[in-house]
Amino acid sequence: MREDAVDIGPMRRIIEVEPVTLPVPEELPEPERVPEAEPAEPSG
Amino acid sequence: MLQTGIEPELARLLEPIVAWRTWTLGRSRLAERPLLLPIAGPGSPWVPREPARASCRRRGVHGGVVPGARCRCGLHATDELEPLRRAREPTVLGRVALWGRVIEHEHGYRAEYGYPQRLRLICPLCFWRWGAAPPNPCAAVLVGRGGRVRALCHPHRELAERSGMGARRILPAAAVEEALLSAYAVDPLR
Repeated sequence: MREDAVDIGPMRRIIEVEPVTLPVPEELPEPERVPEAEPAEPSG
Repeated sequence: MLQTGIEPELARLLEPIVAWRTWTLGRSRLAERPLLLPIAGPGSPWVPREPARASCRRRGVHGGVVPGARCRCGLHATDELEPLRRAREPTVLGRVALWGRVIEHEHGYRAEYGYPQRLRLICPLCFWRWGAAPPNPCAAVLVGRGGRVRALCHPHRELAERSGMGARRILPAAAVEEALLSAYAVDPLR
C-alpha cells in the first residue's frame, strides 16, 4: 500500500531508530485541583 | 531479505531521522484543532501529541513488520524538498521526525513511527513554482465544494476566484496555522 504519492527511489538500507527521547510533546498536564479547605473545628 | 537475495545493511541510530513531508488538512474543526492527513492513499489522520504509526494490509506478507522491505507501506518523507514539489496538492509542509523501523531510499524514507517537528501552511501553486521560499504568505484556507482543503496566498486566491473555483468555507490562514501549531505543540517552519 502506498502511503504517499512521492517517488522516493530505490531502497538503500534498513535502519532501526531507537530514540533516547521520543520526539512527541507530552499532553498538557491537567490543572492542579486545589483541595477544598476543611471546615474549621470549633474551638473552646 | 530483498528479492535480489542480498541482505540489506542494518544500521542502528539513537536519534530520530528528520526529513521533509507534506500533508493536507481534514476539513472539520479547522479553526480549533486542524488534523494532518496523508495526501494520498487511505491513511489515517496524524493525531496531535501521539506518534503516527504506519500500518499495512499486507503486513502478513512481509513477516508482520511495517514497513516491509519489498512493500511501499510506511510513513513517507523525503530528504530534499524537490520530490515534494511534484506531489499532489499539499496544504502543509513540515519537518518530521521518523523512528522505529525505517527503510532508507535514494530520495527519502519509509518509517514505522513519525511526528511533525515544524509545520507551515503552503500555497500549493507557490510551492510548485518557488519551493519553500514563496514571495507571498498564505492568506486564506479554503474548503472546496468537494471538501478539499487548500491554503492559498492572496494572488492565487484571487486567481482561484476569477477561475470560478468556489469555496464552501474560507478561514484566515494565520488562525488555522496557529491552531495547527498549538494542536501538535510544534514550532513554525520558517
